[in-house]
Amino acid sequence: MTLVEAVIHYAYFVMAGIIGLFFLKGLFKREKHKGLAYDVVYAYCIIPFLLRILFIK
Amino acid sequence: MTYTIPQIVVIIIAMVLTFILSSRKFKSTELSMALAGVTAVFFTAYSGWTDEPIRILVEGLFTNMDLAMTFIFATLFIQIYSHSGAMTAVTRGIISKFNSKWAVMACMAVLMLIPGAITGAGSVSVFVMGGMTYSIVRSMGVSEKKATAFVFIFAILSAAAPPINLWTMLMTAQANMPYVGFELLLLLPILITGAFTIIYLGWGAKRRPKEEILAELPEVSEKMQGKGGMVRILLPLVALALMIVLTLVAPFQMPVLGLPLMFVICAVIALICDPNKMGFKGFYKLVDEVMEQVFPLAATVLSVGVLQNAMAASGVKGAIGTAFVLLPFVWIYALILIVAPFAQGCMSYGSAIVIGTPLIFMFNTAGMNTTVVCAAMSLMFPIGDCLPPSRITGRLTCETTNYQGSYMSFLKQVFLPCLVLGLLALLMLIKPAWFRYLI
Repeated sequence: MTLVEAVIHYAYFVMAGIIGLFFLKGLFKREKHKGLAYDVVYAYCIIPFLLRILFIK
Repeated sequence: MTYTIPQIVVIIIAMVLTFILSSRKFKSTELSMALAGVTAVFFTAYSGWTDEPIRILVEGLFTNMDLAMTFIFATLFIQIYSHSGAMTAVTRGIISKFNSKWAVMACMAVLMLIPGAITGAGSVSVFVMGGMTYSIVRSMGVSEKKATAFVFIFAILSAAAPPINLWTMLMTAQANMPYVGFELLLLLPILITGAFTIIYLGWGAKRRPKEEILAELPEVSEKMQGKGGMVRILLPLVALALMIVLTLVAPFQMPVLGLPLMFVICAVIALICDPNKMGFKGFYKLVDEVMEQVFPLAATVLSVGVLQNAMAASGVKGAIGTAFVLLPFVWIYALILIVAPFAQGCMSYGSAIVIGTPLIFMFNTAGMNTTVVCAAMSLMFPIGDCLPPSRITGRLTCETTNYQGSYMSFLKQVFLPCLVLGLLALLMLIKPAWFRYLI
């Protein structure tokens, strides 16, 4: 069970990383919600995913 | 460090002004909420109440991160599931099996209640069943606006339905009460409101001939028919239900998967069951589209987290809660149907802790049955899921159903069923002794 829990723990890091990468891609290139306001929104929404994959929080 | 009421009032005014002005300037609710949070933190640091303002904002982004991940992976699962043609197959099946409009609507209402009742989140009901329910209810001759309202009302009812009602769980945990005896207390008002909603929204709708509706729906591939098709349709949903139920009935034998991972597992199963096999490019394109589609919603919940943390750090959250619970009983009865839903709109589940728990203690000192009081309040909070600034479930419903009308027209449509639910809850709050037999 401990091993499974550890695998799940790391799976969440991977999932956060995938979301972070897609958000990062969206910051520079996206089809919808273009404009400065959404540039800012994309920029701060990446922060928690970035901190998670860097094991900071 | 002393929080004074005039300073907190100034912060509230500054937050409201920031929200209104930035909403007008940037036309983005997400950014406006985050900026309102930044304003509160700025005043907090200026007053010397914190020396780590950036930390408050960044930690706020983590408050609802799991919720954002749930939204993203639930949408991914549903898109992959829809790609296989399973949604169309189920829609065709229900329309051809049932002949009565009321039977179809009642069946969809029950199906909508299940995911939210098990997970405690109305948004999950919208993700899993919302699109399908909308198209089936629409085919019964119900207008676009009413069908959207149908999805929303049953989503909020599912969040309040037992066995998992998060507002009740939060309030009972804080008030040292057992989470026992709530099943019938929650279920009865939900059933009454649900029945009213079906009649109110379905009244006057004329179901078109079955053949005409089926002709308009897309054809289902041969692989999605027969026994094999049934397995492809049911397997991802059964897997999801099984994982959720197992976490409830066998918590010590089942590892803690969490909803985001459950949706990822189901997405993989749906991908395997999909007869229209996708290549890597097709899959990447689908994920990219999902990320763009769901981003405003994920950004909303992350921004709500910033707002919540900023309100807590600046004393605004506590001031609002304290100001309300210190009112005389008559004023609480008069204002609770306005304050509780708006608190939900501002603080999400935090509303149960800020307003709910102090009220339980207050009603307890007056000798009232706290189980009924707690159930009554947890029926009021979900109404606020359509109210600004967060309006998470309301906005999600409008996006899922691709509702083209204004948000205000949607609010007008859901008003009456919400009022019925609110009045039933208010009756429970005023006369708890009448409902004691349901415990």
